[in-house]
Amino acid sequence: MKKKLRWKVILVAAVMALALFLSYPPGKKINLGLDLSGGMHLVLQVVTDDAINIESDQEIMRLQEQMKKKNIAFGTATRGKLGEILIEKINHDQEGQIKDLLDEYFKEWNYTVIHEKVTLSMKASVIQYLRDQSVRQSLETIRNRVDELGLAEPTIQRQGLAGERIIVELPGVENPERVKNIIKTTALLEWKLVYAGPVSDQETLLTDYSGEVPSNMEVVRGDPQRTEGGYYLVDRVAAVSGNDLRNARRSVDEWNNPAVAFTLKPDSGKVFYKFTGENIGKPLAIVLDGKIQEVATIQSRISDSGIIHGRFTIEEADDIALVLRAGALPASIKYLEERTIGPSLGADSIRKGLSATIIALILVMIFMVLYYRFSGLNAITALILNILIMMGALSYFKATLTLPGIAGIILTIGMAVDANVLVFERIREELASGKNILNSVVAGFSRAFRTILDANVTTIIAAIFLFQFGTGPVKGFAITLIIGISASMFTAVFVSHLIFDIFMGKRKKRDKLSI
Amino acid sequence: MEFFKKPHFKFMKFKYLAFSFSAVLILIGILNITLGKGLNYGIDFAGGTLIRLIFKEQISVSRIRQELSDKGLGASRIQEVGKTEREYIIRTLQEVEGAQLDELEAHEIMGKRVIEALQGEKEKSLLDQGKRDINSIDEEELTLILESSFPEEGQHVAQKILSYRTDKGIIQDYEQLERAAGISPEITSFLKEKTFLGDLAILSKETVGPQVGHDLRRKATQATIWALIGMLIYIGIRFRFAYGVSAILTLAHDVLVTLGIFSLTNREINLPVIAAILTIVGYSLNDTIVVFDRVRDNLKILRKQEFQDILDTSINQTLSRTVITSGTTFLTVFALFLFGGEVINDFAFTMMIGVIFGTYSSIYQSCPILYYWNKIFKPKKGLRK
Repeated sequence: MKKKLRWKVILVAAVMALALFLSYPPGKKINLGLDLSGGMHLVLQVVTDDAINIESDQEIMRLQEQMKKKNIAFGTATRGKLGEILIEKINHDQEGQIKDLLDEYFKEWNYTVIHEKVTLSMKASVIQYLRDQSVRQSLETIRNRVDELGLAEPTIQRQGLAGERIIVELPGVENPERVKNIIKTTALLEWKLVYAGPVSDQETLLTDYSGEVPSNMEVVRGDPQRTEGGYYLVDRVAAVSGNDLRNARRSVDEWNNPAVAFTLKPDSGKVFYKFTGENIGKPLAIVLDGKIQEVATIQSRISDSGIIHGRFTIEEADDIALVLRAGALPASIKYLEERTIGPSLGADSIRKGLSATIIALILVMIFMVLYYRFSGLNAITALILNILIMMGALSYFKATLTLPGIAGIILTIGMAVDANVLVFERIREELASGKNILNSVVAGFSRAFRTILDANVTTIIAAIFLFQFGTGPVKGFAITLIIGISASMFTAVFVSHLIFDIFMGKRKKRDKLSI
Repeated sequence: MEFFKKPHFKFMKFKYLAFSFSAVLILIGILNITLGKGLNYGIDFAGGTLIRLIFKEQISVSRIRQELSDKGLGASRIQEVGKTEREYIIRTLQEVEGAQLDELEAHEIMGKRVIEALQGEKEKSLLDQGKRDINSIDEEELTLILESSFPEEGQHVAQKILSYRTDKGIIQDYEQLERAAGISPEITSFLKEKTFLGDLAILSKETVGPQVGHDLRRKATQATIWALIGMLIYIGIRFRFAYGVSAILTLAHDVLVTLGIFSLTNREINLPVIAAILTIVGYSLNDTIVVFDRVRDNLKILRKQEFQDILDTSINQTLSRTVITSGTTFLTVFALFLFGGEVINDFAFTMMIGVIFGTYSSIYQSCPILYYWNKIFKPKKGLRK
């Protein structure tokens, strides 16, 4: 009996030591949620349709090339509904040729030929692959950008395994608007030759082209903040794009104004050298996310480095260089949810949460001692151990403590003593029925145990579902509740029983139990 | 100490009264939800923008409302935090104009308009003069400004100023800042020259788009239903089916009563409130199980007694435990309600209602339901297991 007791004491001491070791010092070991530390929580959606449209556009160009090569006549090749390409006005006699071409080179598409029209539709598996890829790439790009910003401990993760949403959590952000813009910028940078513009309306722009945009050109607008605005007619396909960049940084131009300096990758540098050499004297536009930043005349051959002027502020130049370094997003993104908690509100919540916890703890302690005397002290010991274990477990599982999480701790304080109350009430009953103290204690614990188990399991069931569906703060609540209640089974039953054993063991014949 | 010495209350005698009381309460609640005020969804479920602000000087709700309606934002909901007359939570409620797709952006624009409306013209002109608002500036920029004249201590001072601002929420005057943060008078006068004290600081700003709100509502409903099913299964395994049904009906009672009270008090339903409701479900079931556990025991021990008397005996035997546990739990959530702050207040309120009604229902709903189930269906194997 004595030996068994000693082992139990050692076990409890070891658990306590472990909990203390894991959670000390709590300021460093316990992860605070954004609602306590302050910071920004963003939920964003990757518009994966974009990736499908981009792929379709590229395939249209490939298709046009191939058809020209094979001398297949066609009217137009355009994008239809999402993931569809329409080829119109084909020659009836060349139907077989087209089918051969599609079978051979466009295996990722299903097609139907009706009259003079071919409809290509992207295979479902390809669509799914593209969507998935665009989310992965976006995740990677956003991670790069956030890393470049140098923010501490960011969390960037996909919501669900195949979800199209990304959750970004940034503790301690001071300038939320700036960060949001940096994340959201597509950062697609392109160098394109300008054929006409700038003019204030599209009709004037197209007078030289009989009112229609030639198929190898497109109309873009000047970014009103950086240029005079207006419409330009430029190349449809970029000579060089952001993918060709090796580096970008903030710099100054010859008038000491903020600018963005870039360096191209070696191969792209060669392409650019040839391109600029062939087009000396022509205007070249630098287009960012479909808006012209700067138009400059090509003075000489440019190989691998240059400068983007476009009237930036220092901060803008910094941010643009940053997004260019981190790479472009494969699809545009849309914010679904944005929560910014300032540091002072977080600190205030910690203060209030802590004082509520302490007050709750004291109230419960006073009550337990008043009502159960010595046994109340026993319950209090169990309760304190419970809180310790909770802290240790929170640190160990790297769980996040949120304000609802603190509420969970407070609630656990109230509910953890329930196990003690159940036991004590049982012991009182057993005593009243005339049993001696030792037997009453043993019977009290064993009889109450089944009730305690049933009651706690149901609460844990509720908490598990809560964890499953909840977002950040609510998850924090579910976690503390689950840990707290599980721990209470150990502290209020095992530890509490042990304390009774120790005190009853000292004097062989106890005739009074303070309960 | 003991609250009850061998209590012999005839609880079951009042079962009709209890049933009618609960029925009336639930009916009023449902009527109010369906025909009356309905449920007041917070931004988590309904979408929208919620801004928490602290003002430099005291300002009344009516002043804020006036400023907002002058800018066409009169429908915004304004809630004072505590009794400070300086801290407010404002939720924009205007219909959002603009494309459906970018409702979140539209919400954000409304939020910006609210802040601009409250900042007033004076601040704009100060900003135009090149002065910066010390109540919204970030550390990087403040450091830059300070280092232009005090290259050595710039960063250190900037940190001190911002930690003072974090502590107070907003900087009210320069002299206070000078004393509290221990800044030299030269720096203070430099700050006065380069910066100004903005009228308000944003403590938090939350914007939830309609899609997320819709998703959360679905998930919350799912979680509640699955939790109920999970519990039903557990009790079904551990007890007889009749206990499970009685327990689940009791829980449904608790959820309905809580929602009804939310509708009647017009409090906002947000995510933490759903968490609280689910916790109540767990808590109330906890209470119910303790009583049922006794009923099950007593059915074996007191074979000759009437079922109704066994129920009464069981309730009485567990009465002090029920009261004490409810008492300690209530004490803790009450502490949370009083001292936990505005953010967690709705949660604590829900828990308080839940503890009271959870306790009441585990005595006055679960047992009478079990009684009638037994009477009507007369389960062959009885209720012993």
